[in-house]
Amino acid sequence: MSVLRPLDKLPGLNTATVLLVGADDALLQRLADSMLKTDCASELRVHLARSLPLPSNVNRPRVDLLVFVINLHSKYSLQSVEKSLHHVDASFFLGKACFLATGAGRENLCSVHRNTIVRLARTYRSPVLFCDLEVEGSRAAMAQRLARMLQISAGHVPGVSAMSLLSLLRSSESPSLEDL
Amino acid sequence: MPPDCGAPSSKRTKKITKHMSVNQQSLDPDSTTDVEVVTDTEEELIKECEEMWKEMEECQNKLSLIGTETLTDSNAQISLLIMQVKCLTAELSQWQKETPEIAPLNDDVLVTLGKEEFQKLQHDLEMVLSTIQSKNEKLKEDLKREQQWLDEQQQIMESLNVLHSELKNQVVTFSESRIFTELKTKLLNVKKYKKKLLITLGEFLEDHFPLPDGSVKKKKKSIQESTAQLITLHEILETLINRLFDVPHDPYVKISDSFWPPYIELLLRNGIALRHPEDPTQIRLEAFHQ
Repeated sequence: MSVLRPLDKLPGLNTATVLLVGADDALLQRLADSMLKTDCASELRVHLARSLPLPSNVNRPRVDLLVFVINLHSKYSLQSVEKSLHHVDASFFLGKACFLATGAGRENLCSVHRNTIVRLARTYRSPVLFCDLEVEGSRAAMAQRLARMLQISAGHVPGVSAMSLLSLLRSSESPSLEDL
Repeated sequence: MPPDCGAPSSKRTKKITKHMSVNQQSLDPDSTTDVEVVTDTEEELIKECEEMWKEMEECQNKLSLIGTETLTDSNAQISLLIMQVKCLTAELSQWQKETPEIAPLNDDVLVTLGKEEFQKLQHDLEMVLSTIQSKNEKLKEDLKREQQWLDEQQQIMESLNVLHSELKNQVVTFSESRIFTELKTKLLNVKKYKKKLLITLGEFLEDHFPLPDGSVKKKKKSIQESTAQLITLHEILETLINRLFDVPHDPYVKISDSFWPPYIELLLRNGIALRHPEDPTQIRLEAFHQ
């Protein structure tokens, strides 16, 4: 069982790769299409995976940004993401990983509470983004955001490193009782 | 530490060489010295890129020697926090040590860089312009709407003011003594009216319903031998009225001999008085006030 490492290969020239991990194939595909449509200075590559670990026989570029996509309407997507988290090297969480929760708008269909995701993101000290991947506008905006984050974590933006972005994205929240 | 700065500058040098090769084609092909200068700059840039790439490969080799570490939910927070502290301090010291490298400053490089910057600036400014224009439009619409609302509210206020002033004129200032005086005058008026009514009633009754004294025929006189003094119709009515208001639950008056029977018949027949349902010798006044 191989663990996904952030800096295992040399980067491609002017390319940045993002790996979307999530149980819902349709949503991932749509997000990938939106991301490829954004106009970005660097060349973007989007890889999709249902869960980690990835099969080791495929030759793939190094992953610059890891996005865990959780659909709040299904508990199974949360469980598969939680299982995949154990196959990720710890240094990914220094700004190269983030959580994306979709479907928070429709409360009656949510089986996972958004606080669960917030707590999960806090455990792994990574940013969590909320959007609705089914809505065109929200998806396009999120794709632009992810493209920008990808550029930064691939090092294409001079002066901003993944770690500094992480510090900037930290939401100012008072520590909950469990953290104290 | 990952050489993140390596990637952008390599990207930029690639771009610059691309632009420079375009410029090269527009140059005069006869002036060989210019071409040499340009090729020199290009070679210089490519050499720099190669050096940076070699550095990156060295770093990569060092990195591959570091082992992997996975996290569990329980130790994730603390170990990540420690790692993040180390990473940030290392980055900080790197920033403090490092002096910024400048790309070789010749005219071509500067011109290309300048053009790039200006194009970016233009694009950003265009975006800002369009955003501000749309914001402006929205603000104008909001202003119009608020203005309309304000006008309506002002109209409402004007009409309310008019109403208020009208009502104010109707309101008389409250004064206890004045009300008292008013009530007294009312009472006096009512009393006067009552007196007038009684006087008029008395006069009317005297004129039209006198007591029988000389007008009765001699024949009937023997039959109508009354021992008591007859009282006037006015007095009968007075007795009835007083009895009705003094003892409302028993307003019956016994028919005494001082009542002249034809007058009693008159009162009964016209509905002014009523007999007692069980006792024919008692009559009462009809309660006209109820």
